[in-house]
Amino acid sequence: MNLRIAWRNIWRNKKRSLITISSVILAVVLATFTRSFQEGSYELMIENAIGKFSGYVQVHQKDYWEDKTLDNGIDVSDSLLHQIVSIPNIEGVNIRIESFSLASNRNNTKGTLVMGIEPEKEDSLIDLSKKIIKGKYFGNLDQGILIGSKLAQYLELDVGDSLVLMGQGHWGNTAVGVFPVKGIVKMPAPNIDRQIVFMPLKTAQEYFSYPNGATSLVIKFKDADLTQEICNMLNSSLDTTQYKAMSWQKMSPEMLQQIQSDRISGVMMLNILYMIIAFGIFGTVLMMTEERKREFAMMIAIGMQKTKLIIITLYEALIMNALGIIIGIALSIPLVVYYHYYPIEMSGEMAKSIEKFGMEPVLPTIISFKIVINQALTVLIITIVAAAYPLWSILKLNVIRALRR
Amino acid sequence: MSIIQIENLKKTYRETEVEVHAVNGIDLSFESGEFAAIVGPSGSGKTTLLNMIGGLDSPTEGKIIINNTNIGNLNASQIIDFRLWNIGFVFQSYNLIPVLTAKENVEFIMHLQGRKKQEREQRTKDLLTSVGLGDRLNSRPSQLSGGQQQRVAVARALASKPKFVLADEPTANLDSKSTENLLDIMEKLNRDENITFIFSTHDARVVKKARRVITIEDGKVVSDEVK
Ligand SMILES: Nc1ncnc2c1ncn2[C@@H]1O[C@H](COP(=O)(O)OP(=O)(O)OP(=O)(O)O)[C@@H](O)[C@H]1O
Ligand SMILES: [Mg+2]
Repeated sequence: MNLRIAWRNIWRNKKRSLITISSVILAVVLATFTRSFQEGSYELMIENAIGKFSGYVQVHQKDYWEDKTLDNGIDVSDSLLHQIVSIPNIEGVNIRIESFSLASNRNNTKGTLVMGIEPEKEDSLIDLSKKIIKGKYFGNLDQGILIGSKLAQYLELDVGDSLVLMGQGHWGNTAVGVFPVKGIVKMPAPNIDRQIVFMPLKTAQEYFSYPNGATSLVIKFKDADLTQEICNMLNSSLDTTQYKAMSWQKMSPEMLQQIQSDRISGVMMLNILYMIIAFGIFGTVLMMTEERKREFAMMIAIGMQKTKLIIITLYEALIMNALGIIIGIALSIPLVVYYHYYPIEMSGEMAKSIEKFGMEPVLPTIISFKIVINQALTVLIITIVAAAYPLWSILKLNVIRALRR
Repeated sequence: MSIIQIENLKKTYRETEVEVHAVNGIDLSFESGEFAAIVGPSGSGKTTLLNMIGGLDSPTEGKIIINNTNIGNLNASQIIDFRLWNIGFVFQSYNLIPVLTAKENVEFIMHLQGRKKQEREQRTKDLLTSVGLGDRLNSRPSQLSGGQQQRVAVARALASKPKFVLADEPTANLDSKSTENLLDIMEKLNRDENITFIFSTHDARVVKKARRVITIEDGKVVSDEVK
């Protein structure tokens, strides 16, 4: 009976109820949509810059992060690798050796990051072969190198040309070598594209005079959410007087900070939206109670407890919101899913500035049930809060005064 | 034993600059089965008196005892329940819940009492038939005339099986034909089923039908005649 009364009351003033429901729908859709885009862009950013490059967790020699030289490298042994891989969820280890070198070609010289990688294993992590825009990918024993497209441009190098590299090797050795350019890769992050030189691991170890040497071990696992857990497990199982496992949050604190501050500003914007919605609902419920005071007074007079009356009015607000939330969710999901698979492609200045941050200029959404539920719950709570005052006014209703009107 | 006993009842309003003694020392009692009219000029205190008897308003002084219960001793929630089980109300207008049909309006009060569905439905049909609306069960208040609405209100007031029915100017908004019709129905219910009615009115024709006429002026009973 109470629900029936509530339901019919909603449709008593169709226009107003529809406006209220629409505002809830709009709030849910807008909130879900913006949050999904926000989190989607973070995910993409993390995946591009971290997941598909440095990995979510790396193991280094314990002093390497403070002083990134080859002298703080790791002598890779099978027992070390075995120890790492035996930790649950870890699927593999990519050995890397990286250091800065000077690259020159004719009159041009440039500082580069030489990164020795295991060609086959890395390809599955960072999709390097897909990033080749000219030439070919290299094999494990190749002498050839892959260079970033911007670097190639700067040094005026093409596939087949040779690059002279000079730097410091292990324990004071000088590293010198001439390497044929086997391919040119376009890295999504411009700062990397401008300075990267990829070399097969064996070749790089030779170049740096550091056989079996490595600077970082990239830990491979599927679920990015396991980052912290895996990091902790590594640190408890490895000899921490020699090694140290680090999460991407520790390795790239700027990115984490950027994401967090961006998230805060996004949430603030949403709060403003929520306030507007809250006022709308407040207004509706207030009008609904004000204009029905005489009716309420009559119901109390004939013997209805005020609390029951409050329940009916609360039902009205909740039904309208439930309708708005359900329709809102129903509309959001296909939108979010669509833009996940067909992200918005940005162009012009916007795209350029985003590329500067090392990101692809696309804006995908994240498909997250949590976001949808969170927004729906927030709107629900807002309703109850916004309805609190009007409902409280029922409790204070003076029956005689309302009847006399 | 009287069902309502009123002793030295007073209601003084101090909200305005001057004190208004809306009800100024009334002693009255009502027996079961009465059909009593309260009359008097506008502002004499009829509504104030009925509101206090109905437990909607509290007296400044004096007491009201209904069926051995001093209603002044009940708290806010208890008095609402007391009304639900003991008193039927018919107001001048806006008696019905606009979103419910005639049938649902009558059922509603029994629903509040927690009566079973079968009993509710049977009683609703009987009552609406007895007020001549057996064929309008599913009409909404807005689809009924003023007189029909008041008859639904009478049916609703009786649905809870109250000790008595209070009606403050139930015919004030009705034309003479509807007034007569409503009064006939009330009279018949009073005669056949011994329902106690206490109503206020301005209308001489309504007064004529009453078996007891209480006249008040300036918040005091000036005459109390039983025909
Ligand atoms: N809330 C109030 N505050 C101040 N004075 C009030 C209030 N309610 C009623 N009064 C006064 O109390 C007196 C009695 O009012 P009441 O409504 O009981 O009269 P009535 O006999 O029902 O009149 P009518 O026939 O016009 O309905 C009037 O003078 C009225 O102005
Ligand atoms: Mg009056």
